[in-house]
Amino acid sequence: MMQITFKINGESITQEVKPALLLIDLIRDHLKLKGTKPGCLEGECGACSVIVDGEAINSCMYLAINVNGKEVITIEGLGDHENPLDNVQEKMVEHGGVQCGFCTPGMVMTTKAYSDKCKKKGITPTREEVKKSLEGNLCRCTGYAKIIDAAEAVYEN
Amino acid sequence: MDFEVINTTTSDELLKAIAANQNSNFRIGAGFTDLINQLKKQNTEELTIINIAQLKDEAYTQIVEEADGLRIGTLATASDIVDNNFIRENYPVLHQAASKLACTQIRNVATLGGNICNVSPSGDMTASLIALKATCHIVDCNGGERAELLSDFIIGLKKTTLKKNEIIKNITIPMNDHHNIISGYEKVGSRKSMEIAIVSLGYHIQMNNDGTITDAGVSCGAVAPTIPFATSACDFLLGKDIQDLTEADKEEFANKVMEYASPISDVRASEWYRKEVLFNLSQTIFS
Ligand SMILES: Cc1cc2nc3c(=O)[nH]c(=O)nc-3n(C[C@H](O)[C@H](O)[C@H](O)COP(=O)(O)OP(=O)(O)OC[C@H]3O[C@@H](n4cnc5c(N)ncnc54)[C@H](O)[C@@H]3O)c2cc1C
Ligand code: FES
Ligand code: FES
Repeated sequence: MMQITFKINGESITQEVKPALLLIDLIRDHLKLKGTKPGCLEGECGACSVIVDGEAINSCMYLAINVNGKEVITIEGLGDHENPLDNVQEKMVEHGGVQCGFCTPGMVMTTKAYSDKCKKKGITPTREEVKKSLEGNLCRCTGYAKIIDAAEAVYEN
Repeated sequence: MDFEVINTTTSDELLKAIAANQNSNFRIGAGFTDLINQLKKQNTEELTIINIAQLKDEAYTQIVEEADGLRIGTLATASDIVDNNFIRENYPVLHQAASKLACTQIRNVATLGGNICNVSPSGDMTASLIALKATCHIVDCNGGERAELLSDFIIGLKKTTLKKNEIIKNITIPMNDHHNIISGYEKVGSRKSMEIAIVSLGYHIQMNNDGTITDAGVSCGAVAPTIPFATSACDFLLGKDIQDLTEADKEEFANKVMEYASPISDVRASEWYRKEVLFNLSQTIFS
């Protein structure tokens, strides 16, 4: 077993984990945060996307021990009491970007990381750039147009 | 999946871990985007992973401009490369290869050294570095160092010259002699995103102010067991004036690139298709 200390959704925690444990299993099975979805478990679909130190990553391709000293944000970490939904989630609702919802947490986390980065740099991405930012997220239901509309609307004031 | 992990945070710890495991079964783990899918398919009970994902040593992590070229740490991720302005301006072939690799989530963790050491004929960053005549800097667990041209380092399908007691520390790319360059990375897959190349072509061609070609590097991905550097195609270009290249010259260049292609037919594409695509890509880089 190895000991790791990291932040999850703002809270600092220490855990004993098996060295081969994947981050997705730490999040879902140990921490019982079921919003992060297991899809392909091979890095192809993005359903398991979470944010580690500001960057979206696939939690199915990441060893849990490698979040030691880092900050992890899952879908449960967006929003708070006053604003239960993050801006990205609100846009997904407004634009009807959710059908079965399985891909949604991954779509939201990827868009959240990308839009925070764009805002920091003071840039508004083109629709093509928004599309490219979501190239690692698959959706079986929507046909993508509404998800991309929602992701683009994040940059409206 | 079950295995032991030795975590290393300094180069000293890393070299000691490699030395201590010379008689056991170990693998280096960097971004794990190739490893995890591989380890899930094999028995890993006797396996130790030497984890370098948390290594803090700058020689392994940083991208540094030096007098005679650029040094990129083995742990630089595809995203680090995409975001680097010096690379974008001076080595478009590498910038484009990194930005065409998988997707954001993978690029954020996939390392340069992992791409090289996975030794796939369709490794995108590797293919671009072969066109750039990059050199690998390798250390062994006794502190010894050696340097080898990347195109010599890869000797066959899944084979490199790396010994069990060695690890890649960083790679260097020679500085451009001229600002006048034609440089890019063409990747053809069966869809635009998240696709392993069916064929790729990396090219980095330098001209002096008169337009005379003074240096050329061309590599072909996914058409042979290794990623060949197309020497005869490059030699053919040297000394020619870029403005005077005729259609016949472009065709001859493409034919010379083709000498390096010995593709296979597999589920993703036939041998015939791969050759056609490579030929067409080779002709279009000058237009
Ligand atoms: C969904 C998906 C899509 C992908 N798409 C692409 C793509 O489009 N193009 C592409 O090129 N690749 C692609 N890949 C493959 C992979 O992401 C890349 O090859 C990546 O660069 C590997 O880096 P890593 O750090 O994750 O390597 P790891 O998985 O950590 O390691 C890979 C290999 O390199 C060895 N290694 C790592 N670092 C060193 C070192 N410093 N010295 C010696 N050995 C070392 C490891 O032991 C292992 O054998 C894809 C993978 C997935 C899962
Ligand atoms: S479940 Fe991780 S990418 Fe599909
Ligand atoms: S809404 Fe069903 S997979 Fe995207």
